[in-house]
Amino acid sequence: MAELNIAQAINSALDTAMAADDRVMVLGEDVGRAGGVFRVTDGLRAKYGAERVADTPVAESGIVGAAFGLAMAGLRPVAEIQFLGFSYPAYDQIVNHVARIRNRSNHRYSAPMVIRIPYGGGIGAAEHHSESTEAAYVHIPGIKVVVPSTPRDARGLLLAAIEDPDPVIFLEPIRLYRAVKEQVPEIYYRVDIGPLRVEREGTDVTLISWGAMMRETRQAATILGEAGVSVEVLDLRTLSPLDRDGIVASVEKTGRAVVVHEAPFTAGLGAEVAATIQERALYSLKTPVRRVTGWDTIFPLKRSEHHYLPSVERIVTAAENALED
Amino acid sequence: MAREFRLPDIGEGLTEAEIVRWLVPVGGYVEQDQPVVELETDKAVVEIPSPFAGVVLSHGAAEGETVAVGSVLVVIGEPGEMPSEAAESQSAHDSVRAPSSPPTAEPAVEQPATSAPIVGTITEEAEILSSGGPAAEPAAASTVKALPVVRKLARDHGIDLTQVSGTGPGGRITREDVERAIAAASAPSTESAITTAAPAAGTAAPAPQLPAAERPQPSRRPMTRLRRTIAANMAKSWAEIPHVTTFDDIDATRLLEVREALSNRHDTKIPIEALVVKAVVPALAEFPEFNATIDGDDLVVHERADVGIAVDTPEGLMVAVIRDAGSKSVLELAAEVRRLGEGARARTLSVEELTGQTFTVSNIGAVGGGHGTPIVPYGTTAILSVGMARPKPVVYDDEIGVAPVMPLSLSYDHRVIDGAQGRRFMALLMENLEEPALFLTG
Amino acid sequence: MFNLINPDGTVRDRLPVTLEEMKSLYADMVEARVYDEKSMAMQRQGRLATYAPFRGQEAAQIGAAAALRPGDWVAGTYRDAALNWKAGYPWRLLILGRTGDERGGEVPEDVNVLPPSITVGGHMIHAVGLAWAEKLRGTDRIALTSFGDGATSEGDFHEAMNFAAVYETPTVFFCQNNGWAISHPVEEQTRSETIADKAIAYGMPGVRVDGNDVVAVLAAVREAADRARAGEGPSFIEAVTYRLGPHTTADDPGRYRKESEVAAWESLDPLERVRKLLERSGAWDPGWQQQLETEASNRIEEAVAWAEAIPAPEPGDMFRRMFAEPTPNLVEQEKEATGGG
Repeated sequence: MAELNIAQAINSALDTAMAADDRVMVLGEDVGRAGGVFRVTDGLRAKYGAERVADTPVAESGIVGAAFGLAMAGLRPVAEIQFLGFSYPAYDQIVNHVARIRNRSNHRYSAPMVIRIPYGGGIGAAEHHSESTEAAYVHIPGIKVVVPSTPRDARGLLLAAIEDPDPVIFLEPIRLYRAVKEQVPEIYYRVDIGPLRVEREGTDVTLISWGAMMRETRQAATILGEAGVSVEVLDLRTLSPLDRDGIVASVEKTGRAVVVHEAPFTAGLGAEVAATIQERALYSLKTPVRRVTGWDTIFPLKRSEHHYLPSVERIVTAAENALED
Repeated sequence: MAREFRLPDIGEGLTEAEIVRWLVPVGGYVEQDQPVVELETDKAVVEIPSPFAGVVLSHGAAEGETVAVGSVLVVIGEPGEMPSEAAESQSAHDSVRAPSSPPTAEPAVEQPATSAPIVGTITEEAEILSSGGPAAEPAAASTVKALPVVRKLARDHGIDLTQVSGTGPGGRITREDVERAIAAASAPSTESAITTAAPAAGTAAPAPQLPAAERPQPSRRPMTRLRRTIAANMAKSWAEIPHVTTFDDIDATRLLEVREALSNRHDTKIPIEALVVKAVVPALAEFPEFNATIDGDDLVVHERADVGIAVDTPEGLMVAVIRDAGSKSVLELAAEVRRLGEGARARTLSVEELTGQTFTVSNIGAVGGGHGTPIVPYGTTAILSVGMARPKPVVYDDEIGVAPVMPLSLSYDHRVIDGAQGRRFMALLMENLEEPALFLTG
Repeated sequence: MFNLINPDGTVRDRLPVTLEEMKSLYADMVEARVYDEKSMAMQRQGRLATYAPFRGQEAAQIGAAAALRPGDWVAGTYRDAALNWKAGYPWRLLILGRTGDERGGEVPEDVNVLPPSITVGGHMIHAVGLAWAEKLRGTDRIALTSFGDGATSEGDFHEAMNFAAVYETPTVFFCQNNGWAISHPVEEQTRSETIADKAIAYGMPGVRVDGNDVVAVLAAVREAADRARAGEGPSFIEAVTYRLGPHTTADDPGRYRKESEVAAWESLDPLERVRKLLERSGAWDPGWQQQLETEASNRIEEAVAWAEAIPAPEPGDMFRRMFAEPTPNLVEQEKEATGGG
């Protein structure tokens, strides 16, 4: 066990995977010499060489397209796109090729690859550096989408993603990279892609979130808990495939749900979660499902970030409304 | 007037920085935008220029110490202003994460609102997560349980919530409770018993309850998710599977000798499960109904032996699965047993690693157990429990001697395995365990 | 490589500028450097969001902008503050933008400079569309797009170059090859011998110019601009320069490049060679230098004061920037965000 933050846990997972399997390689802009713009790949090039930790030209479509070829030919590439807002040039590769090759070739070819992408706001960065458009990828059939919120999950989910026979988009919450630390096992372990994690058990209301917003959600749960509310907190951690059974089981118990995400409101993943609840747990619901989300606006720059990011207060209020209805 | 300069987030999501070098000493003069300190962050070593001109009154931390984003980095005064003892001692360790630093009060230095530096958005130190499963329900921080919105309602109407009894779940004070209290308080009557005030129109009266103190309360706690899962699985197995358990003892002399020899040769402790699993695999091959699943009217016989090993964890029993145990050497099995044991206790194993066994070995001997009646895990047909080897009298060729005797208990599903078959399985297994050469060479 | 002023301030050829123009270019470069240094300091003080310094690239940016006329379009990057300023984008708005305020992108009506592109490469094709429109309208305006060596690896670069050539748009592609795309050296960015070589494949002229020579850059861009205005289509210019600072304030170049390399480029400083030239011509003395720096600093401090005095954005602002008329969902959400609903 070692106390690691999320950036270190991901670094450790990459190290472990590369040591265990020489098919695993890392490629992306600045992943080698610089160790990544968030230092997540620090030290890997020195340890595994420039061939297995490839600094690429500035070309996101190229990175993903090349990783796709590497994967089809039997390697296990872990591609990095520096920010979610920079992934859109690669969107064509992801949607039209990476996600489709298994279907297109009826299993003859596959794309066992991981695309790591830091995402989310809250660090006062420039435009395009704060995107939270995970739903755009969840909507694409043929790729899995994973978002850890803790160091332990980050390491285990990444190892599982690298082993997965299909493509996985691995989103990393930027503002939590260094903001949470946890005892993380140093052994090779996997956290399965799929099941959600019940972070806190309770019976009155279920708070559902993932990634960066888990911190505010956890804080809201603490406030509600001190007020005598028995709060259940779910960390979805895999967004595609969604753990519908886990969500339904919790809401059947509590009868109330609040979904929290940083992404814009309209067609955010909260809509999918709410739809699942009404389809499968309607008669357990005591009050309507609430959503606490970002707005249908461009993610604003530094001076307005706090107006955009869902606050602990908004989450508490939504839970109160759910409880007082 | 002294002004504070707090450490901003200078690198997109940083939470702290280490002081490498102070470039201007306490008492020294610094120009606006002149570098005052060199810092090392997770990303880079950088010089930080002062936002104000003036005399450095205090450093926020010593060289080598770590400063959290948002805490005071340096205090700068007007030219001529002298560093005061108070300023030095009170701000020197503000939010510094050094082991010896005592918690301190707010810095004495006044910070004019108009010149407050804009700090980075990340102002907290890293939060430490407790590992493992779901957090337990924390104890309520205050005696009054009420939502913030209800507290506000009470505050707005001058209601003292400590005088209101809650009718909500867990004694929580609801909006209705406060509304009743407001109605009671504003009523002309002198009645002061708020808790007995009539409910507002249209609101159901709370169910009458005895005061908690009047009846003895057994302690009640919800079972954890793991415990509930175990309970459900055990009940299902017990309800559906007609169990037969057979008990035997083996002379474990050779088994323990071989274990010790292997441990010495490879300089690693070989868990007893590794040898037992290795001995079980040939028996499963010989008697495939022990490595099978009942599916409706079919018996599904598994090609591969995925052997579950029971692990005792603080939260309860977990079964971790060694995939394709037949393909693994004793050393590989030993490594796998250790990994799964550690992983199960740390709650880091995937669902895949915790499900899907085709046969189970439980080392009850690890906690000192002997014979028992293990319950066959649902979806399998048998389970072997291995007790602790203890010195006992044994008969060798008409002589009585002392040997380590290991108790074995085998439970199986009587729907698919007859008594005679159970006996034959056990005989082969015992033969193997008493002479490890039989399975180690096989 | 086309070059007119040597690093030691001697001259290779007759310069196509007057002494007064020379002094003016120098003054602009000094002002740009003061801005750059002030911005770095402000970021370290927590007063600016992430900042991308252009130190070392002043000649390339000032020289290119000096070749433009009022009304010409400029589509540049986050590292092009000097270029944008010289083309009419006021310091105060550039600073406001860097504090993390969208109002910094509200370029004055009479200036045709786009807000800096933050993604790499997406904006080059915009300069093709802008120039195409001017061609269709029959004006003599041109569009200049500035980008780095790294951007030439993006697919959009190819599409922009090809479109411009096919439609013969009056576009100037101005590449500041500063040696590094964050940590990636240009030698590993492309196997073309020069970036200018790439122009050949698209059927447009490409020249390689000393990017630390303000007059050479000015002359090269002016020639390309003249061709564009004359209806002869796009051109490509590779200005060879060097990023003396980090990629941004979140970067640590010590991790990937040698101090000796930086020191070698320090000796090729674009300001110093002009200073020496002016000094030799009797047009420079320390007093004038002091005066330039003080005046530049005063203007920039004034711009900083202006930007920092702008009241914090209101929570409702972001909703009202989305469409010409807010859509119903935005109206509803604005109410919620501002406590009005």
